[in-house]
Amino acid sequence: MSESTATAARGSTASTARPAAAGPSQGRRLLRPLLLVALLVVLLLLPLYVEEFWLRTGFAAFGAIVGAIGLNLLVGNTGQLSLAHAFFLAVGAVSYVYVSGEPGGLGVAELSGLGLPPVVGMIVGVLLAGLAGLVFSPLAARLRGIYLGVASLALVFIGVHVLNAWTSVTGGFNGRAAPEFALFGFTFASRDPELYVLGVPFRESERLWYLGLVLAIAAYLFARNLLRSRPGRALQTLRDSEVAASVMGVNVQGYKARIFLVSSMYAGLAGVMYALSIGSIAPESFGLEVSILYLAMIVLGGLGSVNGAVLGALFVSALPLVFQRYADVIPFVGGRGEGGLAAGEAARFLFGTAIVLVILFEPAGLAGIARRVTGRGRRRPGGRVTESAPDTSSRSTSPVPSEKPAQGSTT
Amino acid sequence: MTQFLSLLLNGISLGVLYALIAMGFVIIFKASEVVSFMHGSLLLLGAYSIARLSGPLGFFPAILVGMLITATAAFIVERLIINRLRGAPVISLAIVTIGVDIILLTELIRRLGSDILNVPHPWGGESFRIGNVGLSQNRLIAILVAAVLIALFFAAFKYSNWGIAMRASAEDGETAALMGIRQGQVSALAWVVAGVLAAVAALFLVGSPTPGVTPAAYAVALRAFPAAILGGLDSVGGALVGGLLIGIAEALAAGYQDQLLFLGRGFSAVVPFIVMIAVLLFRPSGLFGTRELTRV
Amino acid sequence: MTAPADAGRGTSTDVPPVEVENVTVRFGAITALSDVSFTVAPGAIHAVIGPNGAGKSTMFNVLSGVYQADEGQVRFGEHRLDQMRPFRIAGIGVARAFQNIALSATQSVAENLMLGRHHLTKAGFIAAGLRLPRATREGRRHGERVAEIAEFLELGDKLHTPVGVLSYGDQKRVEVARALCTEPRLLLLDEPVAGMNAEETGRMAESIREIRTALGISIILVEHDMGMVMSLADRITVLDFGRRIADGTPAEVQADPEVIRAYLGSGDEIDPSDAAAAHGASSHPSDTSGTRS
Repeated sequence: MSESTATAARGSTASTARPAAAGPSQGRRLLRPLLLVALLVVLLLLPLYVEEFWLRTGFAAFGAIVGAIGLNLLVGNTGQLSLAHAFFLAVGAVSYVYVSGEPGGLGVAELSGLGLPPVVGMIVGVLLAGLAGLVFSPLAARLRGIYLGVASLALVFIGVHVLNAWTSVTGGFNGRAAPEFALFGFTFASRDPELYVLGVPFRESERLWYLGLVLAIAAYLFARNLLRSRPGRALQTLRDSEVAASVMGVNVQGYKARIFLVSSMYAGLAGVMYALSIGSIAPESFGLEVSILYLAMIVLGGLGSVNGAVLGALFVSALPLVFQRYADVIPFVGGRGEGGLAAGEAARFLFGTAIVLVILFEPAGLAGIARRVTGRGRRRPGGRVTESAPDTSSRSTSPVPSEKPAQGSTT
Repeated sequence: MTQFLSLLLNGISLGVLYALIAMGFVIIFKASEVVSFMHGSLLLLGAYSIARLSGPLGFFPAILVGMLITATAAFIVERLIINRLRGAPVISLAIVTIGVDIILLTELIRRLGSDILNVPHPWGGESFRIGNVGLSQNRLIAILVAAVLIALFFAAFKYSNWGIAMRASAEDGETAALMGIRQGQVSALAWVVAGVLAAVAALFLVGSPTPGVTPAAYAVALRAFPAAILGGLDSVGGALVGGLLIGIAEALAAGYQDQLLFLGRGFSAVVPFIVMIAVLLFRPSGLFGTRELTRV
Repeated sequence: MTAPADAGRGTSTDVPPVEVENVTVRFGAITALSDVSFTVAPGAIHAVIGPNGAGKSTMFNVLSGVYQADEGQVRFGEHRLDQMRPFRIAGIGVARAFQNIALSATQSVAENLMLGRHHLTKAGFIAAGLRLPRATREGRRHGERVAEIAEFLELGDKLHTPVGVLSYGDQKRVEVARALCTEPRLLLLDEPVAGMNAEETGRMAESIREIRTALGISIILVEHDMGMVMSLADRITVLDFGRRIADGTPAEVQADPEVIRAYLGSGDEIDPSDAAAAHGASSHPSDTSGTRS
């Protein structure tokens, strides 16, 4: 949460920065940009040294990062529980495949497609997903907290049904191949043109890695900037108390609609990236389980924290793949026949347990743990998604009032 | 007409089962303000236990033990997790049940593997007919059992100490606590009852005309969510009405699917969700749910 | 300690009166407010008092648009507050400090205060997300004003502290500061000293007085602390069971037999907690000699 909150004020009230605040963090202030630059250099150089498996995992993780940041804006920062994320991912992925795919037959199914450049497909995917979010938002804005969570389930089921039924666009039950990405004639595949960098062949996985890196960084920066500024403060206040937000001049309905739009656009982009990473789309890739995994990412990472969403997405998307690859080394994980757990199962057990433990013991998630380990920042109170009513928030966050009970009149 | 009556009857039989699940859902919400997203795997646990145990124990003992297992699982979750999170935000509570759901569901699916486990209902797969209107015997018994259970439930909710305590703490937790009502106990009991109801629903849901215990039973439970929501999350009567509404709508959509083919095959499974969205558009707190008054 | 000088438009000349006319609010069978009327003169400190359950908070919820009045009107100059949504009411210069602290505990004081600037600023999602120069400039400009207001309420050294770790008294001050950050023409203070000790109460009363002197805005105050009310308010409206039972200067209200009856509980219909609240303030209406500010 520190990135969503603490630094904002520092930027906006620069004139009031006082020595006391600057003192102990002086060294860190220099250290941080250095670390970030080092991280960026490592990420940029990685394709030169790392094998294809890791690069592909990396691209999948970049996609998950984009999606998780988007969901976190909605759930973690605005307090709107949505299980519909998979649906918006699907809208993005299907739009991309349809807009940029070529018409033609695949087996028995007759597929249609617009055959437009992949960039157009990606943009349309993002916009349509956003539009879907916007269309859903009037309903969402009327529903209180948990009603929204369950109502959003509906979108996932309806989405999967449409994916199965609308064969000409989605490829139906069998799914449909996703066209390779290309940007101004440069394809993100293993040919056209063939490319060597320092003697290392740059094929599809290397190229996609950079695409994913750029998109993920853009998604990250946009979210951080947003949360540190006027709209971000409005969103976080309406999470904590809708009444307080509206009385302070925030158009609560309008803001809910806008954050649904933004969050769905993130999901749409994540959907396109998913299609690129797998190379195809199929209905089962956008089921409830996907929504739940995204929720797992942001809970494990730490609700409301952009860094947390990144960590959570890395963890959740990479873990099953890592388990799969190192099944024979990791205890308890093995093939189904050997009595061990399949990699996917092991990962799911771990996620489930981790969610429960995080909610019970560390509501600030991985981001909170990281903060504590690095000793950076004060321990922030709470870290929970929403306070149900203003009076509970005062009860849980304020020290005991000094003299008489603060009951007062509640008419 | 006879087709319509058949479908209606089928819908009612499905609806009462949805209602059983949804009622569990609602009392959990009333007693501990938790929206239990683990109800699907709880149902599957009930179905799995009954199916596995009816071989060694016999059918009826297996039902009892199955109910006990499901209720115990619900109880443990309440004591170990929910009870510790009293006063936490609703969203955290919902998410924690999703965590439990992932664990339980993964284990159950792993155990089920790819084979279909059957519950050996003594009433078999025969149908019961009056003229041309038919219903599987399994579903007929389901209606009778569910009717008895629902009546018992309403009576208990209205007259028993537990029911009164629960309604009191749902109304105003602090005052109820001052009056000596132990919220922990009320909540634990609610979870146990919900577990039992889920197990009973499971018993009938995996019988004819459905093909045995498969992970699909989980998806069936998810369709009880709309039932609870459209009735109003905090209304027990609403859960009954919602369940029936959803059951009938789904059965009708399944029966007339040839006419609805333009909406895609298997459309009936989505109908509950569409009905829910439609209701929520006009009544954001469901048909019978109370509108929360903002307190500042 | 200097008062925030340039209040933008907060000079007394354009502060219109608040006219509450025959307002009735019902919740089902309960009538929370019944035919209540009063007028707040521009630049006045107007207190609304009454035992628990008298309808004070309901009145505030009507004034800030959270509740709809079933009957009656609330006018603020040419605006009809009873027909406006809360965020629009904030936009015409009505600010409210909540009784139950409704701040974002995880956000810093500065961020909570910046929320008060919401309706005065414009940066949208795109400008903010892309950090367009105009958004950054706007944030900086308003940040300076926020720092001034924080300084004024003695919160200057806590700007970057998360609100959740502040003392109760400081949180209450942040509530008031946030309301001030909207540059209001009408300030609604809902029990600003509830739960405070004598010293904190004194500081708060001092701050309220300074706000009025420096900005010339109208203030409506709901408060149980009679000492504070009597010393601060220019005029007092007394509510009991949703009805207005008295309206006048502090001296008039204190002498009113019906007010004394409502507070001291001569009838058996008075809830014991009301009496406790009145006594707990250590000074009931007939005893204001010992004001603490």
